[in-house]
Amino acid sequence: MSAAAHTWRFYLGGFALLLVFDTLVQVSFKLTGAHAFPPEASWAWVLRIVGHPWIYIALIGYVGNFFTWMNLLKHAPIGPAFAASHLDVVSVMLASAWLFHEALTPVRLLGAGVVVLGIVCLACAESRTHPAHDVPEEAAGSLGVTSGD
Amino acid sequence: MSPLVATLWLVNVTLDTGGQLAFKAAASDPDAGDGSARWRHMASRPWLWLGLSAYALHLASWIAFLSLVDLSKGMLLASINMVVIMLGGRWLFREKLTPLRVAGILLVSIGVAIVGAAG
Repeated sequence: MSAAAHTWRFYLGGFALLLVFDTLVQVSFKLTGAHAFPPEASWAWVLRIVGHPWIYIALIGYVGNFFTWMNLLKHAPIGPAFAASHLDVVSVMLASAWLFHEALTPVRLLGAGVVVLGIVCLACAESRTHPAHDVPEEAAGSLGVTSGD
Repeated sequence: MSPLVATLWLVNVTLDTGGQLAFKAAASDPDAGDGSARWRHMASRPWLWLGLSAYALHLASWIAFLSLVDLSKGMLLASINMVVIMLGGRWLFREKLTPLRVAGILLVSIGVAIVGAAG
């Protein structure tokens, strides 16, 4: 496999996994909240939360999200990567419409479209600018570490 | 915007940016190696712990912030974090700011703000 193909597999696989974990966490929290309804400052509410399996799935999602993110950051530049991670706004919106019948209003769809357009720009930017080119040959970042692979 | 809301917003941007930049510093350390050795290396240095601490404090500040402003306004204001983190990446890690990268980051920020404004 060429280096470019390996880089693309790394990015696509990493961000896809991140998206799955992010969406799973938010959907799980929503299901947990619905199960524990109504919210109240009492032990009964806490017990309703911890007695529901979705809270543990949410926690597993959080841990998976963290390890996936730290793996991605090994090579991905933080600026574009942090922005690209917000694709979960779109996936959570679609999952909410499917699972919870939340409305997909025209303004929400417009926002989702703009997010996707931004991600397409970031993907095109990475295909044109290999991360290795981020680093001037003799320059290290202010923290002594540099971005890119 | 009241002084308290403005202060919480500033704290929120600072913690989110600081946490993400600390995670990046931990993850991209060229001496870290691979596999479990990489995690042992990261755990023995301050960046990972700094990132996790900032993340926890960021969650607390975000909840406090949202208790004072609507979620839509909160998302609108928080979308600036992406731009600040982009500038932080440029400053600390010499990340290239190509026109496409800047356009992509700005579009995602605007898109998230629109979704937030939709309520």
